[in-house]
Amino acid sequence: MFKSYFLQYKKKEWRSRRALCVSASSAKKILIMGGTRFIGIFLSRLLVKEGHQVTLFTRGKAPIASQLPGESEADFKDFESKILHLKGDRMDFEFVKSSLSAEGFDVVYDINGREANEVEPILDALPKLEQYIYCSSAGVYLKTDYLPHFESDAVDPKSRHKGKLETESLLKSRGVNWTSIRPVYIYGPLNYNPVEEWFFHRLKAGRPIPIPNSGLQVTQLGHVKDLATAFLRVLGNEKAREEVFNISGEKYVTFDGLARACAKAGGFPEPEIIHYNPKEFDFGKKKAFPFRDQHFFASVEKANSVLGIVPEFDLLEGLTDSYNLDFGRGTFRKAADFSTDDIILEKSGSLSLVA
Amino acid sequence: MATACPASASIISSSISPSSSSTSSICHFSHLSLSVPSFNHLSSSISISPSFQALSAKSCKRASSSTIFQSFTVKAEKKKVLIVNTNSGGHAVIGFYFAKELLGSGHDVTIFTIGEEGSDKMKKPPFNRFSEIVGAGGKTVWGEPVDIGKVLDGAAFDVVLDNNGKDLEAVRPVADWAKSIGVKQFLFVSSAGIYKTTDEPPHVEGDVVKADAGHVGVEQYIAGTFANWASFRPQYMIGSGNNKDCEEWFFDRIVRGRPILIPGSGMQLTNIAHVRDLSSMLTLAVEKPEAASGNIFNCVSDRAVTLDGMAKLCAKAAGLPVEIIHYDPKAVGIDAKKAFPFRNMHFYSEPRAAKEILGWSGTTDLTVDLKERFDEFVKTGRDKKQIQFEIDDKILASLKVPVAA
Repeated sequence: MFKSYFLQYKKKEWRSRRALCVSASSAKKILIMGGTRFIGIFLSRLLVKEGHQVTLFTRGKAPIASQLPGESEADFKDFESKILHLKGDRMDFEFVKSSLSAEGFDVVYDINGREANEVEPILDALPKLEQYIYCSSAGVYLKTDYLPHFESDAVDPKSRHKGKLETESLLKSRGVNWTSIRPVYIYGPLNYNPVEEWFFHRLKAGRPIPIPNSGLQVTQLGHVKDLATAFLRVLGNEKAREEVFNISGEKYVTFDGLARACAKAGGFPEPEIIHYNPKEFDFGKKKAFPFRDQHFFASVEKANSVLGIVPEFDLLEGLTDSYNLDFGRGTFRKAADFSTDDIILEKSGSLSLVA
Repeated sequence: MATACPASASIISSSISPSSSSTSSICHFSHLSLSVPSFNHLSSSISISPSFQALSAKSCKRASSSTIFQSFTVKAEKKKVLIVNTNSGGHAVIGFYFAKELLGSGHDVTIFTIGEEGSDKMKKPPFNRFSEIVGAGGKTVWGEPVDIGKVLDGAAFDVVLDNNGKDLEAVRPVADWAKSIGVKQFLFVSSAGIYKTTDEPPHVEGDVVKADAGHVGVEQYIAGTFANWASFRPQYMIGSGNNKDCEEWFFDRIVRGRPILIPGSGMQLTNIAHVRDLSSMLTLAVEKPEAASGNIFNCVSDRAVTLDGMAKLCAKAAGLPVEIIHYDPKAVGIDAKKAFPFRNMHFYSEPRAAKEILGWSGTTDLTVDLKERFDEFVKTGRDKKQIQFEIDDKILASLKVPVAA
């Protein structure tokens, strides 16, 4: 009885208590590289709410503040009035160096950095930087049959994400206090990567879901709000000093299972899943499926045990959140493109299933 | 870093009188999802281990309130442990390792093996190595569960591990007798096979289990019978003294240049642990009874391997090439359970409770452990034995694959 009261108290109060636990003297001057697309949208709000002074370094192509679905007028106005903008192109290294050194920042969140050379001018400009928090990727891990990926596992210097690895190495070599976060697949409202959106388009159209090979491939999704919370948690945290953390959902999911979960989240009937052998097709440059055709998941135990990070969303809750705030309202980033589906369905003789 | 403290924190802290120095430490603990301000007074006298901080609101249902004491270093008191051991099957080796580890740590150990000392079953490992138990100071006895009171008449034990029963019929006599003689801690080797299949691996403690599974009935019974109980759910294991083939199934084929026939895609994930990991988890439960009490523990290593991956790792350990052939058991007309040693599905649990609650860590590394297993495989001369591969040949025939003479 005492235990369950404790549990309920902890779960409700944790977030609000956390938000209040920052005094004026510990407010930081924070720079976010990027911040107007996906992760940064949620992270910047958390940081501003915490009382920090937050600047977004962007080219200004997207508005600095845009009201989120589900966000109240009051909250949005407050955020809009406080968020700052440093307009520039991060690939203009000279400008980066001069503008950052003129401003001076305590902490940098690098959400959109890809290559190590993009980070150098930032470090050069801010010799007194307290912490460099980098959004890396679990894509750096070397593919293996022996999973999950732990932070200490072998990385692949030839991977598509080798720029992230090189950035991590640079940070290590520069003697700055750095923290690197490696997410797996990120999902949630406003996702610009068609992860859940890919399934929702097909479910809405009443189409079968074509999944390569067995559909048993295990992957892992992490909600963007949980990722933003994790980024907040490492701020000023000594336990995060020079550490790498995998951040994602606590449970993994099979490809087939994800199709079913998306259906549940959107209130669709159980989907028809068609498996196919991708080797039998040539889709040209088009991607027939949004995930790597392999097992890909990482243990989030280190973040749990070292930082006390526990994701708030499980898969169904998270997909429902994404659906209710985004696709379910009629918004999405990429229009539906069923051309590769039709190629697959025609070959499998299932094209007639489509109305 | 944080200095201001919200009024909401005082709801709990008003039950104690916080000293001025504890005010800032309350907020320091707010970094933890389970922060317990009333325990701050203890923070100077004990070190809060990272595993304590891992107790989250969600996982709290697993932890007893006394887990805060897990970071005290207490010299393990000598325990009298009884292991009721199965006389065959994959779990037999667990009792053997556990007995040796306990004896090595200075505990008193008796193994009660089901059946008769003179039976043919006792000629197989690990039973044919029981001299190692006796030599280390352990006792070995035999009998049926219903006769346990007679066989062990007069003996007293602190801990009983039932590593035998798959259902209540087999375990109840042991549990009831243990209760009657005042055994304090009752441990049970259950099975991760009782988890309901899921789209979202891994199986973690607290996940839904198959209600009609025999092991579930046992877990419920011992939970209702003993104040201090724990259940351990293993999967597959390797290790010297194993009663049931595991890696040997792969080695047998690899050394003879035969293909490894894997049902389905080969992507199925499973968990294969070195038995020493299971033994160390059980030992921790004996040495930290308060922490272990009332908990379920997945008794597995901390990595999963694909079926294809296991074949490749075995080949690497043997230093030989391997050919993997996938087949559809239904199409071939084969019962995959008879043809292949692992389940034809994802069967993947993670040992999260043991890590969080017992501070356990796994040591299994198949890339290393399989080499040692292969060395023993060769030493026993098993690679030279004449073996028939009837089922393999049947599968290959239906796939129309020629077999090397």
